[in-house]
Amino acid sequence: MRKAKLKRKSLPMMVLGALLAVAVAFPLATALGAADAYPSKPVRMIISFAPGGSTDIVGRLIATKLSERLGKQVVPENRSGGGGTLGIEMVAKSEPDGYTLLFTSSAIAINPLLDKVPYDPVKSFIPIAKMGNAPAVLTVHPGVQANSVKELIALAKKQPGNLVCAAAGVGSFVHLASELFKMMAGIDFKIVQFKGGGPAMIDTMGGHSQILVGTITMTLPQIKTGKLKALGFGGSARSKLLPDLPTVSEAGLPGYEASIWWGLFAPAGTPMVIVDRLQKELDAIINSEETKKIFEVQGAEPDLLGTADFVKFIEAEGVKWGKVVKEGNIRKE
Amino acid sequence: MELFNNLIFGFSVAFSLQNLLYCFIGVLVGTLIGVLPGIGPMATIAMLLPITYNIPPVAALIMLAGIYYGAQYGGSTTSILVNLPGETASVITCIDGYQMARQGRAGPALAIAAIGSFFAGTVCTMIIAMFGPPLAEMALKFGSPEYFSLMVMALVTAAVLAHGDMLKSLAMVVLGLLLGIVGSDVDSGIKRFCFNFFELTDGIGFVIIAIGVFAVGEIISNLSDPEERQVFTSKVGSLYPTLQDMKQSIAPIIRGTAIGAFFGTLPGTGPAISSFSSYMVEKKAARDPSRFGRGAIEGVAGPESANNAAAQCAFIPTLTLGIPGSGTMALMLGALMIHGITPGPMVMVQQPDLFWGLIASMWIGNLMLVVLNLPMVGVWVSVLKLPYRMLFPAIMVFSAIGIYSTNNVSFDVYLAAIFGVLGIAWRVLGCSPIPMLLGFVLGPIMEENLRRALQVSEGDPSVFLTRPISLAFIIATVLILVVMVMPAVRKRRDDIVG
Repeated sequence: MRKAKLKRKSLPMMVLGALLAVAVAFPLATALGAADAYPSKPVRMIISFAPGGSTDIVGRLIATKLSERLGKQVVPENRSGGGGTLGIEMVAKSEPDGYTLLFTSSAIAINPLLDKVPYDPVKSFIPIAKMGNAPAVLTVHPGVQANSVKELIALAKKQPGNLVCAAAGVGSFVHLASELFKMMAGIDFKIVQFKGGGPAMIDTMGGHSQILVGTITMTLPQIKTGKLKALGFGGSARSKLLPDLPTVSEAGLPGYEASIWWGLFAPAGTPMVIVDRLQKELDAIINSEETKKIFEVQGAEPDLLGTADFVKFIEAEGVKWGKVVKEGNIRKE
Repeated sequence: MELFNNLIFGFSVAFSLQNLLYCFIGVLVGTLIGVLPGIGPMATIAMLLPITYNIPPVAALIMLAGIYYGAQYGGSTTSILVNLPGETASVITCIDGYQMARQGRAGPALAIAAIGSFFAGTVCTMIIAMFGPPLAEMALKFGSPEYFSLMVMALVTAAVLAHGDMLKSLAMVVLGLLLGIVGSDVDSGIKRFCFNFFELTDGIGFVIIAIGVFAVGEIISNLSDPEERQVFTSKVGSLYPTLQDMKQSIAPIIRGTAIGAFFGTLPGTGPAISSFSSYMVEKKAARDPSRFGRGAIEGVAGPESANNAAAQCAFIPTLTLGIPGSGTMALMLGALMIHGITPGPMVMVQQPDLFWGLIASMWIGNLMLVVLNLPMVGVWVSVLKLPYRMLFPAIMVFSAIGIYSTNNVSFDVYLAAIFGVLGIAWRVLGCSPIPMLLGFVLGPIMEENLRRALQVSEGDPSVFLTRPISLAFIIATVLILVVMVMPAVRKRRDDIVG
């Protein structure tokens, strides 16, 4: 009698126990590792965006490669929110011991232009290295009567304010790259906002919007099947993925350049020995064939800058986009 | 005939030992994360993405897809057993599923959820195979005005169909709309009702509200009533649905599948709206709507079929046009691109093994899920035999882990606790949280599309009437209002007079 009762209870208990084990193991599974000098324990790498975006994909790749080379787990942890500000702030306030790093995008330089943020992109961090760029592509719906950058500018001049350009949210890369194009070409078109790049692209494919300045990763499939017409590439040189596409700069708007970039940061005060070590490993990672391949499918170009050059670059980006933000009157407050 | 050959080819791909194994791993992981609240398919797929670099693309995609639709199956389990929605789309299942469990009918509820999902999965596999490309083209015809009109139709229909106190329902819808406003305004980027919390700039998570109101609220109110605690232990009835249950469920399953297939194909809508719509339709279609909310099996069968249909049909725009209908689908596209495959219409021609193999694997995966889930029903139901002093803390722990792991922010856990208290307050006041959740889900989509449509038309509201698809939705809305409201008003007046 007593035995039977015990047995009946044990089944649900087992289920519960198994569930608990799974739930607890899930976040911890990746955090297991062993010990030496630096790193003597697993390193947290905060990715300041949600899983699945290009920053996340590249960040996870770097984390995997760093783990192999450091001999300790580098654990990627997504801390999204506030356009990246939440994750950036968290690392800025972390212990500068090399065990909390930040992988983020150009958002770190752009967010302070749009809003009050609780960090300074250069003073709160040691920018360890810039790793790559992902330039924009200027595309239009195939029905738009323009086959080149010049024709599009002419068309917009003929009907000011008429064309609709889809953007991925206020202050997003897609938005700023569109605003920069508008500003430099001296033309007027409507910019409407969507929640993210995907919906903006879908709207443009349907012809509800006419212009989309998107990342190459997102737009490449549509360009290849003719659902979007590419007019110009936003990089400093042509892309290997679309070798026939001229850069916007050579096609009629000299000096136009718009790229997302990625970099690894440590909180200010992190020992230079650690920064140097990470820089050395990143150098090898970025130059490996596998990384180059994955960067290429992400529409990105490896571009390694050390701390000094990276700081200068971040400051220059702040000046460049600061002008766009000011002229376009883009604020989030 | 070509379709037939293609499907046979697809099955020959999917039936390879390796692909079957990956399909099984996918649906198993999917079921698990579906059962666990908060940990959604998106985060899981993102974490598993690097592993797929080293396996063939077909196998990788089969596994990732399995996780995605497997989660829709698993999500209903905790909704039914303990009023804890495992996934966004299974929130609606809490209402009648949990009531069924309290009446000792957890077994039939779980079984009908699995059966409905399987039916929906089978139908949608066929839909993708036969009509994928034209349906995706149709979805592209939806611009901001169309989305707005469609959402107006959904909200008006829901409001008209709502039962009980009209004033309370309306108040809850408005509250939902207000909660939906919290966060950055899409159009201007200005933060609304964020009170200087960066954690609120992306808005309040649906899962946070749902877990707070349903799971946390339920536990507190159960504990406050000593008689209710014993409710499960005494009665756990038959494990499988009766013939009567099956008969009652057939029509809801078919309707739910149709609704889910429609919303799933449209990018940006998805499983949550599908299951809400299906519930509303079933409530209206029922001969005795008052059974809803008290354990009507139709309220489980319809929405569960709808959310699985939507999950499956979300692959249509992704596979045929290469456009991401949701964040999870964007990840799938990312997985393809890592393997050097450009998603889009060319995939069917250039990588037929991938396209047809994946479609065939979806059906196999759905079959595996039923085989996996039906025998599990008995095991799950036995969870209810746990004494409440163990069950309730366990639910709280799972809820907290789930909420925390969504964004890795403890702020969200506190927020859920606040919603738990609010849930109690609403219960005491007799306000149903469903209209609130509906307003919360539909409101932001409506606002965003309304403003965008008017921005493009320069403030001219006639866009909603001059575009044919939008006009059709507006006309349908007016018809629904006329047909449904007139008798209701007359009846109410009689009631007052009487």
